[in-house]
Amino acid sequence: MNTATVDLYTPVKATVTKVIEESPTIKTFVLEPEREFHFKTGQFIELTLEGVGEAPFTPSSSPLVSDQMEVTIMKAGFVTEKIHELGEGAVLGIRGPYGRGYPLEDMYGKEVIVLGGGCGFAPIRSLLYNLEAEKDKIKKLTFCYGSKTPQDCIYKGYIDHLRAVDKFEVLRSVDKADETWEEREGVVTKLLDEIEIKVEESIAVVVGPPIMMKFGVQKLLELGFPEHKILLSLEKNMSCGLGKCGHCMMGKYFVCKDGPVFTYEEIKDQPDIWK
Amino acid sequence: METNFAITKSNWESILIKLLDEYVIYAPYRFWNQLEYDRVTKDNVGDIVYNQPKPSTPLKTLFLPIRENVVNSSQPDQKRIIIGAPGCDLSALSILDEIYLDNDYPDPSYTKYRENTILMGFDCHSTNEHCHCTSYGFNPYPTENNDLVISLIDDNLLMTAQSDKGLSFQEKYLTNHEQPTDEQKTKATEMRENIEQHLKEKNNDLPDYAQTGDLIMQSDDEIWERYAETCVSCGACSAICPTCSCFLLIERPGFEKVRSIDTCQYPGFERVAADEDPLRPLAKRFRNRYMCKYVWKPDKFKSKACTGCGRCIEACIGNINKNDIFREQLKNLSIEA
Repeated sequence: MNTATVDLYTPVKATVTKVIEESPTIKTFVLEPEREFHFKTGQFIELTLEGVGEAPFTPSSSPLVSDQMEVTIMKAGFVTEKIHELGEGAVLGIRGPYGRGYPLEDMYGKEVIVLGGGCGFAPIRSLLYNLEAEKDKIKKLTFCYGSKTPQDCIYKGYIDHLRAVDKFEVLRSVDKADETWEEREGVVTKLLDEIEIKVEESIAVVVGPPIMMKFGVQKLLELGFPEHKILLSLEKNMSCGLGKCGHCMMGKYFVCKDGPVFTYEEIKDQPDIWK
Repeated sequence: METNFAITKSNWESILIKLLDEYVIYAPYRFWNQLEYDRVTKDNVGDIVYNQPKPSTPLKTLFLPIRENVVNSSQPDQKRIIIGAPGCDLSALSILDEIYLDNDYPDPSYTKYRENTILMGFDCHSTNEHCHCTSYGFNPYPTENNDLVISLIDDNLLMTAQSDKGLSFQEKYLTNHEQPTDEQKTKATEMRENIEQHLKEKNNDLPDYAQTGDLIMQSDDEIWERYAETCVSCGACSAICPTCSCFLLIERPGFEKVRSIDTCQYPGFERVAADEDPLRPLAKRFRNRYMCKYVWKPDKFKSKACTGCGRCIEACIGNINKNDIFREQLKNLSIEA
């Protein structure tokens, strides 16, 4: 056996210790890896369902915790459907972490505006955990989150927690409200009109479905954000995670290795960035 | 050409037979109307086809097998000699090296194949219909990624070591050799010059590598849609391409993985969650391969992603000649100007 090869492609086994239903189509799997697993916020992992397939996810838990990891998964295809069938005790594989995460140092001393949509909250939560732990180093954090309906809003308990954190502000909006909804209604980008933004002192993060990222970036540019101060986390068909298999190529970038976090400036001229 | 030494063909063949104890040796052989790399044995050593372009399957398949278990590798720790790679195939290793021997994640299997292999490339003494290496700045003889270069002149192999590996091989195994005669040297040099000249003349209407990238960048959808009309997404162009190196990871029981050759020409290559697929239209996939070769890869890597071997043209069952696209684009450009 070629032991060196084993290290690149063999996952670390991880046991599912809890499954949390976040919405009708989204579940969070709490995993306990067989050995410590470190990652930086924004980096992704390949989650392996033995004999079935792999899919890339950005952990939704704190990067400061290494003996447990949470992965929030939307049922959106073959592998995720199979993973959704799993319960406590199931064993998955984790490969990684891969790619370039968030440049936290660029956020220090700044007001951080985070614009998130739908399941994009999952990777954002890992960033928020990280920034909460380092809140002395940032000026302020404003999280604008949008989803389709109140039922699609994930991490309800965590939202309450965030609202109590000093320096943190949370605004939520749904495309279509119902009688239970007490917050805003409308597209998430409208939330940006409600907050006071000092562009020179701010940095923005946008994560969500492609269409939401597209309009989010447009709005931030209109507000005067320079292209290099808009951070995006992109989703492509990352497979090997090593910058080799080519499935996540986006123009000249291997998203798995060069990203998945990019500034808008870096990717604006590449093809199909919103697809 | 600096030729180090000459060795008679019969002498060389007996050396090869002795080397079989230590090495697995591959060389080009003729199968029906085409050449293929095959294992050298003591019985077929006399049938090696020298200095003819070019094995139908590119050299890359001897470094990136079509299917390979990358978790539980069965790759033997075997020393190899590959005889007869043409310049285009050898130059193509440069970009594979950049991807598979990168500093962050050097691929163990590829690394081992590269380390364990001695490459003995051939000068091309003739050309195939679609050869166009010179158009992209390459030569019809080995200049890089090669250990020993071979040119068969009148039953004598003229050999030149091109690397330390080649030099130590020469010192160890090729002791019984002579200096090439001036006549042999001149003949080998003339052969190179003639082939180079022929290729340049034959392809004089073809844009160079950088210009091809510019033409693709400026092109509109119409030309890709038109040329893609006979494309059936079979992926032959990528499979036989010496620089295409994308792969699919297939999940096996026991958390094992099989790496299998793949291509952006297949539907679903870039498909993501919720069935989004930026390359769903066939014409977009078709264009993607050329964008990758002439625009994106050169933007990212030092090496070129097409060495002008012309195999993709030979292999296309839809009769698509990529060079027709670029000639047409070049013509349109000059008309517009």
